[in-house]
Amino acid sequence: MSMFRAKKFDLGCFTNIKIIRDHSKRKAFEAAEPERQALRYIIRNTTLPMRTRAMAQLQLTQMHCYTRPTQIRNRCVLGGKGRGVLRAFKMSRYNFRMEALAGNLPGVKKASW
Amino acid sequence: MSVPRARLLQLMEARCKLFETTFNPDGIRAGNKILRQRLKGPALAGYYPRRIWTMQEFQAEFRDLHLLVDDEKELDRFEHVSLLKARGKGAPKKKNSAPDHKKKK
Repeated sequence: MSMFRAKKFDLGCFTNIKIIRDHSKRKAFEAAEPERQALRYIIRNTTLPMRTRAMAQLQLTQMHCYTRPTQIRNRCVLGGKGRGVLRAFKMSRYNFRMEALAGNLPGVKKASW
Repeated sequence: MSVPRARLLQLMEARCKLFETTFNPDGIRAGNKILRQRLKGPALAGYYPRRIWTMQEFQAEFRDLHLLVDDEKELDRFEHVSLLKARGKGAPKKKNSAPDHKKKK
């Protein structure tokens, strides 16, 4: 969805279309988050009339899928891989191994006993 | 010794007022837990490192000091292109007139 994409390229890591897409989704979610939370509040609030809550439900489901937090996936910043990504290092397991063995990750050491 | 419920509720109300929580003795679902949640958008949007500057901007920073910064990637590219041109394999020249559209049959 190109309307969510940044007009000026703004990524400083490895880039492919999947990373750009994920980044756009993150930014779209950030922009829409207050609205989403407001709608979720209305839906969860049992003191409000049923009609209002149903309307809010509809509105929330009809928001663009890019504004949904479940669309976001952590990807490797070095290779763009979507699986086997270590959250603490934002890297896929292979890239993590390579960087760790090269000594680029402070405090990471190969275990040996 | 039993304490009447009304008295306990008063205590609860006072406690809620003191610690700024919502007084909800009946346990009605008012959706307050949504309002209590923190926004996680900024943390999520900051996952990928942003681009800080481009090489052109970096060069422009040093232009005032009369320093030249070599963009090695760009120089490599120029070299590659000149080699291609020397072999006659460069990009074709642009046409002056717009290309004629093919007629559909």
